Amino acid sequence: MLFGCIHVLDFPVQAALRLDPAARFREDAFAVMDGPESLLKISACNEPARRAGITPGMTKAQAEVAPQVRLRKRVMQEEQAAHAALLDCGYRFSSRVESTSPGTITIDLTGTERLLGAALKLGRQLARRAKGCGFEVNVALAANPDTALYAARGFTGISVIAPGEEARRLASLPTEVLHPPENVVETLDSWGIRDFQALAALPAIPLTQRLGQQGLHLQRLARGEVMRELVPAEPAVAFRESMELEESVELLEPLVSLLNRLLEQVTARLVARSLATDHMQVTLTLEAQLDRQLAASPAPPGPAPLYQRTLKLPTPTQDRNVLLKLLQLDLEEHPPLSPVKKVMVEAFPAHVRFGQGGLFHPIAPEPAKLEITMARLRAVVGEQDEQGRSRVGFAQAVDTHKPDSFQVLPFNAERKEAQPRRAATLTPRFVLRRFRPPLKARVELERAVPAMMTFNGRRTKVTNASGPWRSSGSWWDKAEEWQREEWDVELRVTGGVGVYRIFRELPSGSWFVEGIYD
Amino acid sequence: MLSFGQNGSVKKPAVAGSAKERISSGNSAVLFSLLAQNTRRGHFCALVDASDCFDPASAEAVGVDLSRVLWVRCRASHQPKPLEQAFKAADILVHNDGFGMVVVDLGNIEERHIRRIPLTTWFRFARVVERKSVVLVFLTNYPVAQSCAGQKLLMKPAIPHWNAPGDIVQLRRLSLAEMEFEIEVEQKRLCKPVQPATPKFTAAPIWA
Repeated sequence: MLFGCIHVLDFPVQAALRLDPAARFREDAFAVMDGPESLLKISACNEPARRAGITPGMTKAQAEVAPQVRLRKRVMQEEQAAHAALLDCGYRFSSRVESTSPGTITIDLTGTERLLGAALKLGRQLARRAKGCGFEVNVALAANPDTALYAARGFTGISVIAPGEEARRLASLPTEVLHPPENVVETLDSWGIRDFQALAALPAIPLTQRLGQQGLHLQRLARGEVMRELVPAEPAVAFRESMELEESVELLEPLVSLLNRLLEQVTARLVARSLATDHMQVTLTLEAQLDRQLAASPAPPGPAPLYQRTLKLPTPTQDRNVLLKLLQLDLEEHPPLSPVKKVMVEAFPAHVRFGQGGLFHPIAPEPAKLEITMARLRAVVGEQDEQGRSRVGFAQAVDTHKPDSFQVLPFNAERKEAQPRRAATLTPRFVLRRFRPPLKARVELERAVPAMMTFNGRRTKVTNASGPWRSSGSWWDKAEEWQREEWDVELRVTGGVGVYRIFRELPSGSWFVEGIYD
Repeated sequence: MLSFGQNGSVKKPAVAGSAKERISSGNSAVLFSLLAQNTRRGHFCALVDASDCFDPASAEAVGVDLSRVLWVRCRASHQPKPLEQAFKAADILVHNDGFGMVVVDLGNIEERHIRRIPLTTWFRFARVVERKSVVLVFLTNYPVAQSCAGQKLLMKPAIPHWNAPGDIVQLRRLSLAEMEFEIEVEQKRLCKPVQPATPKFTAAPIWA
């Protein structure tokens, strides 16, 4: 059996600093405050802050005596996201990962030695992966979960404890590492028991008589004799990262920079779980009222307005740059109307799709690159026309006889076999080149046949005409009903001949030019 | 089957130019045929439609695999103008590297606007396309691109043929039977013309 434990040092501090690339956890002094606004107290701090005299329980006023210490307010969402990221690190190595406590996870690594290497090598990989997610950690590997846990809590760096050596290796750890109840700590302290070695050496029966089964259990833990079942955590269904801003962001550029940091974490977590995303949601918490200073009126009570943008991709991706570019283009097209106070990015996972290009297949656009191309095209030509049809995509005929009926669907360059060549395609065919919307025209009839036509400011004789071809439909729906009479007409124009399709709308009788045969 | 250059395809890399007036000339027939051939071979194509005149029903009837054609429909009354939108879109698509053919349909753009396009624009496109495996086709109503075009095709005015069923020669019994088109290969920059392209072809209507 082999269990690994990852313990994040000063977890609340690291959770608060994780999304700040400029923060140096080892060098700079940081402290996290918790509690009501009027009575903020230090709940955690890092080693440089401790050296500056900061201890948990200090009030904000006491902590401000050390000016080099940067104070941050505790945000539970940040800690939850950080812990979820830590769990994702664990899932990279095994599917059995226990969420032991905030900032600490235990992983069942039994049977992975042959795949991932010996225990020490495995420990280094765990530390490297956690570092990649932005954590400074202690890692320990042992034959039972509790020994790994206490070694990770008590020893710095990577510790590997061989089976049978638990008691000897844990001997130097202080009893506080066991996190016993307060009364037990006091009792042990009064007996002069301050480390694992002393606790392990106590006779079992007198210890049980004085501290009960709890005392005996603590002693077995100190000896490294307890073997318990791991309680695996449920993997997250959504990858969420958020950042609350001290000062609101008004411009797109800094907002994109913040999104980049959040996406960095989200994609790192996705990669750690060997997942990708094809559905992403950005939620921006906006300032309640943009011009409240100008209006000289207070912000209305109630929750701050939210601004959500959703990104859906045809192919799942792990590429941060692609996601960032798509979000940037989307926000450029649909910017928030007020300054942003909080940013949240949520990615819904999907399995990575692997594609194998054939040696003799023609080139096809890369799915991720194609998405960016389409977003850029939409920024140039717009998203939809007046009928609500997309301006960028592939056309698909609609099952109706109504002329010029089609829909435009999202373009997807999935590799698929080309359709077999049909004999019908071998015959050259002239086609209709449409005028959208149809051009208004004035047609003079002679014996019910078009004889003269005026459109585009020019009156021309109709030399040949074919028709009428009548069609109608949707009579059951007044809004959609259409009824028309089509003609193909030949006109002599400068430089040659134009063969047009014209139609008369019924019952109004108005004439239109639908297109030219070309 | 329409045939241009060798092996039934436009030579790569090249900027091919087609010319058209406001008459029936067959350039849409050529364009649709190119799209049909390329999509049938498994290529992905892009069509930048500056005046939103592409008819999907006709294209499907000709044999174009519409799911392989990315259709970009420019906005008419909007800034930037359709011509500018079309060039920006073409630039984006050429740089994607995944499309076998990019067609820019400027057929309904007025000649005075086309004439204003600086020669450097065509040179720039020619330089970009030379390094890529994409065919860039411009469809205009006026010969453009000058010496930048790898191959230039000039479509002559079409000759429509009407028929009347039986011996009854009445106008209302007429129907459009076919159209005769003529192509003039005006320039081939990258290869020496060994054999001229098919100068004339007859096209049937899609309903025939």
